[in-house]
Amino acid sequence: MNDAAGNGRTLLEVEDVVKRFGGIRAVNGATMSVGEGRITALIGPNGAGKTTLFNVLTGFYKGDRGSVSFHGEEILGEHPYAIARKGMVRTFQITKALAAMPVIDNMMLAARDQPGEHIRNLFIHPRAVRQRENQVRKQAMELLGIFNLSDLAEDYAGTLSGGQRKLLELARALMAEPTLLLLDEPMAGINPTLGRRLLDHMQGLRREMGVSILFIEHDMEVVMNHSDRVVVMAEGRVIAEGEPHEVRRDKRVIDAYLGEVAGEPAAAGSSGE
Amino acid sequence: MLVAVTFDAITNASFWISVGVIAGTYAIVALGLQLNTGFTGIVNFGQAAFMAIGAYTMAILVLKAGFSFWLSLPCAVLAAMIFGVIVGLPALRLRADYFAIATIAMAEVVRLFAQNARGLTGGNQGLFCDVNDPSNCYTNAWRDVSDHINNFVSNFWGDPDALFPLLIVIWVTVAVATFLLRRLQGTPWGRVLRAIREDEDAAQALGKNTLLYKLQSLAISACLGAIGGFFLALNLATVHPLDFEPLVTFFAFSVLILGGLGSYRGVAVGSVLFWFVLEGTRFIDLPDPPFTETRIAAIRLAITGLLLIGLMAFRPQGLFGKREEMVLGE
Repeated sequence: MNDAAGNGRTLLEVEDVVKRFGGIRAVNGATMSVGEGRITALIGPNGAGKTTLFNVLTGFYKGDRGSVSFHGEEILGEHPYAIARKGMVRTFQITKALAAMPVIDNMMLAARDQPGEHIRNLFIHPRAVRQRENQVRKQAMELLGIFNLSDLAEDYAGTLSGGQRKLLELARALMAEPTLLLLDEPMAGINPTLGRRLLDHMQGLRREMGVSILFIEHDMEVVMNHSDRVVVMAEGRVIAEGEPHEVRRDKRVIDAYLGEVAGEPAAAGSSGE
Repeated sequence: MLVAVTFDAITNASFWISVGVIAGTYAIVALGLQLNTGFTGIVNFGQAAFMAIGAYTMAILVLKAGFSFWLSLPCAVLAAMIFGVIVGLPALRLRADYFAIATIAMAEVVRLFAQNARGLTGGNQGLFCDVNDPSNCYTNAWRDVSDHINNFVSNFWGDPDALFPLLIVIWVTVAVATFLLRRLQGTPWGRVLRAIREDEDAAQALGKNTLLYKLQSLAISACLGAIGGFFLALNLATVHPLDFEPLVTFFAFSVLILGGLGSYRGVAVGSVLFWFVLEGTRFIDLPDPPFTETRIAAIRLAITGLLLIGLMAFRPQGLFGKREEMVLGE
């Protein structure tokens, strides 16, 4: 199953991407790729440019140089919403639950192809809007069931615990029917039990829905055991890329990443990039 | 004797009808702000500009371009909406607080333009009737309708006040607009707006073209502003730059906060309460001297402000706002 899904085709190809903030090159010529049906981990010490790269890939920052091709199509410089519609959907390091909206509305919002999101259709195709709305609601409730959030469907998302919000954000991203999920530190700030469940979900998504995943993580154990491929960044560049066991032995990685963690244990936390 | 005058005024129906007309006008204007601020999270401090564009376009088309009054209304609404989109296209890319500053600047530009483009707007003289043909006033068509309504009403109910028809039409408009906005809010379209209010980045990450929705929100608000502008122009029987000062927008915001952010029904109630308090304080009698007329005017605003502050202390979410949404929205 694992091999069938990971058929080696490249889904996302990042080439020589540069993002400058004033004189600082937060991403300084990053080159990497994500294979279809793969779970790829993006690791690196704090300040390596991982989140900045995420923001460039998803259109939240305009890249200064380079190329990003997704499904073989150049997407660098596209608007975030356009990129999401192409199937690359992200979550955020600090969860963005839409707090003053019920959980179910959070979910239904993310659905694709709802004609009722255009005012005109509300008047000329009210039936199509209602039908799609019922479909979407059903789909949302199913997903909430998978993530054990069914009972909270009508609660405001702002009343959820930190871990539940992470689950909600993941479930919500799935409502958008992504082919590639970008998760920014999905395990940060949640308890280990919930974290394990989240990992199981990630594996399940790949297996059952064929969703490819690129995720940023600090915890080396998680990365080693739950990813097919690891991309290591340091100082804005990709310094190593490969299978987890290869990367673990790479000297540059040990110097740049593990060395720093060993010398500075607190770096394993989840402060900003 | 002063006390006697006071009671006389309090029971004066025509006075309260005129207050009702103002309250209804502000309710329409504030409904637009509710859509913007309460449901889309964009702080529009320029609502007075859309009122001005609505009122001036209508008056200019009737008096200078020979349009019929009824045709001038949709044209004026369209003008305000297009202006909203033109201003919104660059300004809505700004962060919320900068957008607010941009809109207040826009409103002042419009007002100062009206004050100075004398050939078009009559400047500080304002617009009322055609200079060359004093019988041609923009209110003529409305006067006819108004007389018809009052003739009809007088069959059952004595001699109705001259402003009575305007009061009815305005409040029917408030009811229809509230109904439509509430319906819109419950649709997938309204859900996207709320998502933008909560977190624009999250909405974008889920594939929503947020700029488009914010533009639509602003355009609808401009439409409501323009309609409020018509009613103000009909009520005052003149279109004058001073009627579109930033204070107008801030009064409308007071109405909004009083009624509660995120509640369309609250807008009408908030507006009635605000204007009945503000106008009701006219009946507070204080000896002159030392309380001259200008001093009393200032005191009235102070009293209204204190009442607002008092209410906010007990009900920070406003009369109809949802407290959970306010707390969670932080």
